[in-house]
Amino acid sequence: MKDVNAVTTTLPRLGLARPSFASVAESELDAVHRYLLFLTGNRAVAEDLTGETFEKAFRAWRRFDPRRGTPRAWLCRIARHAALDHFRSEERRAQREDRYARGVADVEEPAWGEGALASALGELSPAEREVVALRVLLDLDGPTSARLLGISQTACSTRLSRALKRLEELMSDARV
Amino acid sequence: MPASETVDFEREFEELVRELRGLPSDAPAAVRERVRALGEPEPRRIFPQLTWRRAVVVLVPACVAAVVGAAAIHGIVSSSGTTNRSSAGATQTTPQRELLPPTGGGGADTTAKKRAPVFGQALTNGVHATTLPTPNPARHQDYQADLRVRVKDLDTLGDRTARAMQITQQLGGYVASLSQSSTAGQPGEADLVLRVPVARVTDAMVRLSALGTVLDQHVSIVDLENAVQQQRQRIRALRFQIVRITAALQQGGLSADERLRLQFQLDDARRNLSNATGQNKATLREAALSRIAFYLTTQKPIAPAKKHHSGFFHRAVSSAVDFLAGAGAVAVAALIIVSPLLVLAALIFFGVRAYRRREAQRLLGAA
Repeated sequence: MKDVNAVTTTLPRLGLARPSFASVAESELDAVHRYLLFLTGNRAVAEDLTGETFEKAFRAWRRFDPRRGTPRAWLCRIARHAALDHFRSEERRAQREDRYARGVADVEEPAWGEGALASALGELSPAEREVVALRVLLDLDGPTSARLLGISQTACSTRLSRALKRLEELMSDARV
Repeated sequence: MPASETVDFEREFEELVRELRGLPSDAPAAVRERVRALGEPEPRRIFPQLTWRRAVVVLVPACVAAVVGAAAIHGIVSSSGTTNRSSAGATQTTPQRELLPPTGGGGADTTAKKRAPVFGQALTNGVHATTLPTPNPARHQDYQADLRVRVKDLDTLGDRTARAMQITQQLGGYVASLSQSSTAGQPGEADLVLRVPVARVTDAMVRLSALGTVLDQHVSIVDLENAVQQQRQRIRALRFQIVRITAALQQGGLSADERLRLQFQLDDARRNLSNATGQNKATLREAALSRIAFYLTTQKPIAPAKKHHSGFFHRAVSSAVDFLAGAGAVAVAALIIVSPLLVLAALIFFGVRAYRRREAQRLLGAA
């Protein structure tokens, strides 16, 4: 797979044309889906939000500036907004239906299949899964992840460390 | 682990990371097809979008350059204008007070009692015959002038006073009054009222102004033609009345009462005629002789405001700086007015952002 993020970092200096949307979408689709899957903990929702994310990105493609960040970080920001909108609407819907269960608690289909890791991931909060997804799965660096989450780098590192430790503890508990 | 420490999760959680990366999380084919179907958006516009950063970087220098350019143009234009104004002001420091119909015209008659100045002018830089309003020899006019002249010292003052009297006599006039004072420690002054034939008043003014440095001059001409004509008509009417009454008295057959009444009328008419003739003579005398109030002084002139004898460039720069100061004052005033709104907008912006972040944390369970 072509690494669009690596290419775009050289664009400003070389004065080259920025990548096409189609190539970015092709290369970043799995990453965005993975991020949303971890963030929502729901495979069906993640698929919907992935499609929605790329539709929004398609409309906003003119505003994308490679000098200000990688396409992956830009797409993740859009995906995050889409996910937050989804959570808000779910919350309103739950209030209307007088239910207090969280949206993520309504998982009908296991997002990561069976096993200790999958069940441990289900125990983590969306914020913890989000930072794991960004730093571990999507390989975003600390400053980019922190900026995307709207927190400091220190807070981002702390959150990641705690999430991984908790995940490890949950897995060891499950194995025992 | 301290919060400030960089997390080397790859090494610390090596097995966990490997398991996480091994999770099946690729996008399904349906989503991939949906995204592929989007295709390629319209090409980006040729003109770059104007972000707020670009606006600050581009527009602010552009505005500053525009203001500076306007200041430079204003400085150049106004400094050119200053030159013209200063040259005009050198010969005429006070504007013309009134400019009524020209004295040579025939339609501007006024009565002697309603004297209105038909021309007034003040000069400070010497008097020339061409700059003086001249009386119209075809009409009767009252010509009055005030002339204030500065001389060097008391000796010169006495000399110039005598010279002014000589000039007056040479021109066929006379000195109506003279007052001269020369107290020690005080500026010397001479106050003369000169009566000069109107026909030679211009010559008198030129010669008098040459006696020193002219500080102030004012000339006033009042047309008396209408008054003279009215007086003459009245004289003619009175004479006709006297002739008529005299003829009536010389007729015979008048009663004593009638004769007495006519005699009273005749006396009255003669008295009126005498008055009218006197008034007419006085008017003609006034029209024949001009009145010049001539002041001589040794008083040093009050130092005028320091004139800028600097060059065009200095004036232009000064004017441009004034313009920039004005623009700055306007900008500061606008900022004072707008700043509360800006502060309010900033508060709203940061408040909304903080609220959204907090809400996002709440939604994601990261409180």
